[in-house]
Amino acid sequence: MAGSAASPAYPLPRAAEASAPGSGLLHRAWRVGRRRPAALIGAAVVALFVLMAVGAPWIATSDPVHTDWAKIRKAPSWAHPFGTDDLGRDGFSRVVWGTRISMQAGVFSILLAMAIGVPVGLVAGYYRGALDQVIMRLTDAWLAFPFLILAIGLVTILGPSLTNATLAIGLGATPTYIRLTRGLVLSTKEEDYVQGARALGAGDLRVMARHILPNVASAILVQATVAIPTAVIAEAVLSFLGLGVQPPAPSWGTMLNAAQQFLEQAPWMAYWPGLAIFLLALSFNLAGDGLRDVLDPRDY
Amino acid sequence: MIEFVARRAFISAITLLLISLIVFTGVRMIPGDPARVLAGTDADTAGLEEIREKYGLNAPLPLQYARWLGLAVRGDLGESIRTRTSVARTVALKLPITLELTCLALLVALSIAIPAGVVAAVRRNTVWDVLASGVSLCGVSIPNFWLGIMLILLVSVRFGWLPASGFVPIAEDPVGNLKRMLMPALVLGTGLAAVLMRQTRNAMIEVLSADYVRTARAKGLAQMAVVVRHALRNGLIPVVTILGLQMGALMGGAVVTEQIFVLPGFGRLIVEAVFTRDYPVVQGVVLITASSYVLINLLVDLSYTVLNPRIRVRGTADGG
Repeated sequence: MAGSAASPAYPLPRAAEASAPGSGLLHRAWRVGRRRPAALIGAAVVALFVLMAVGAPWIATSDPVHTDWAKIRKAPSWAHPFGTDDLGRDGFSRVVWGTRISMQAGVFSILLAMAIGVPVGLVAGYYRGALDQVIMRLTDAWLAFPFLILAIGLVTILGPSLTNATLAIGLGATPTYIRLTRGLVLSTKEEDYVQGARALGAGDLRVMARHILPNVASAILVQATVAIPTAVIAEAVLSFLGLGVQPPAPSWGTMLNAAQQFLEQAPWMAYWPGLAIFLLALSFNLAGDGLRDVLDPRDY
Repeated sequence: MIEFVARRAFISAITLLLISLIVFTGVRMIPGDPARVLAGTDADTAGLEEIREKYGLNAPLPLQYARWLGLAVRGDLGESIRTRTSVARTVALKLPITLELTCLALLVALSIAIPAGVVAAVRRNTVWDVLASGVSLCGVSIPNFWLGIMLILLVSVRFGWLPASGFVPIAEDPVGNLKRMLMPALVLGTGLAAVLMRQTRNAMIEVLSADYVRTARAKGLAQMAVVVRHALRNGLIPVVTILGLQMGALMGGAVVTEQIFVLPGFGRLIVEAVFTRDYPVVQGVVLITASSYVLINLLVDLSYTVLNPRIRVRGTADGG
């Protein structure tokens, strides 16, 4: 060990990594961003969609539910860049307002799944035993329901609406978080620092909240980022099937449902909402890949 | 190996039991009288009484569950409120259409994913790899119902190459059937192809750096023989797992695909049942779908014993 001070056998941390953890993370984000510009572009597009969702009242050029019989199915023009729909409503405004609904459904459903899945997975992985067995068997049974079939079943019980679709998507995604968290806890709780905390007399709740959770949070966050596009698509599918957002509210799924009936007369009605879903999902996936590299140095 | 098979079968049986419990509870959560829920709003008193008698709705809940499960195991999933035909019979009539669609989609997915995944792994970090990864990411992100609409727009509306919707039984007109199934299979297979392509690429990269592949190369075997005969066989094992897990997505995807292309299959049946509040049909379809998923994954796990000789020797699945 004497020699290690003069000539260390391991690389010394560089200035950025040695400083505050936040700046280390930023530094790694910058390195990942330079190496993978697609991830940066993805994150920028996600940010744009967030801006669009928040600023919808100012960005949309007209009322998204205002019908105008004189403007039924008009092709894209300067006045209506995305054209108008079968009820003369402005396509651009509906796509902009639809962002808010899609983001809402995507983010809230995954937050709900995390709010249930993470504590349940934490408890199952930490305590093991009979409780773990019961939770895991129930999770396996829950996972056996195909996501969309489960969502359809739940919406049948709860009734079609945006809130219920969000709830159904969230409940459908919950088992993933139970399994993921449990798996992460199983490996983390054997780490020396957790054993150390326990040896120092820390209670179960403190060990879980202060020592295990912060160390498994990044993997859960990455999973959430890549799950949001799936949730966005699921909301669009439910609304497309008439089981989510109800007309006249502007949802990308309901817009595509309407567009399907006028493919020959007004194909533009189908272009934009679908393109919006695709772009949002693609950007989230790109950003999620980048985020995994930033948060998980082992993969970097 | 017997221990592994028995343990896996036991876990699947427990899962199936829990699935039935979830479905049973779900139907009981629908507001209103369960007899009215199962018989329909226009059922008369005699009809309601018949349902109460059949399912023992006046008995305590555990007994109701036992009776319902007993009937379900014997294939009695109740009667459709709308058509007054047995749910099992209705499902049996629709199932072949969905099975044909999913099999064709699987074929599409595998014929895109495996060659593309192998090429991406063999030509790692080249333009082919980037292209395959990019296409795969787009495939995962594209909503399949929008892809379906765009295909109808281009192939049917613009060029008139294929019919946009409808179904002809394969026994009646095989060519007409394939013409109508091609686009739906392509739409349903794309998402799966994207997932499998990623998995194939990752698995092949790992396998291609293994010692036995290096040995095969050192023996002077041609690249094609090394990849196909030595690497691919082992590389496909994790792909089979993912394939099993993706069956749920495929079944869910079939619902919306059948809706777009007006295919009178299993998926369309459940959507129609939701709108007509035909709860016995919804219950039956959900139960059958989830049970099939469990059984398919049991088969996938058991297929390991054939694919991976180590399990035969050790008697346990890797990681499980």
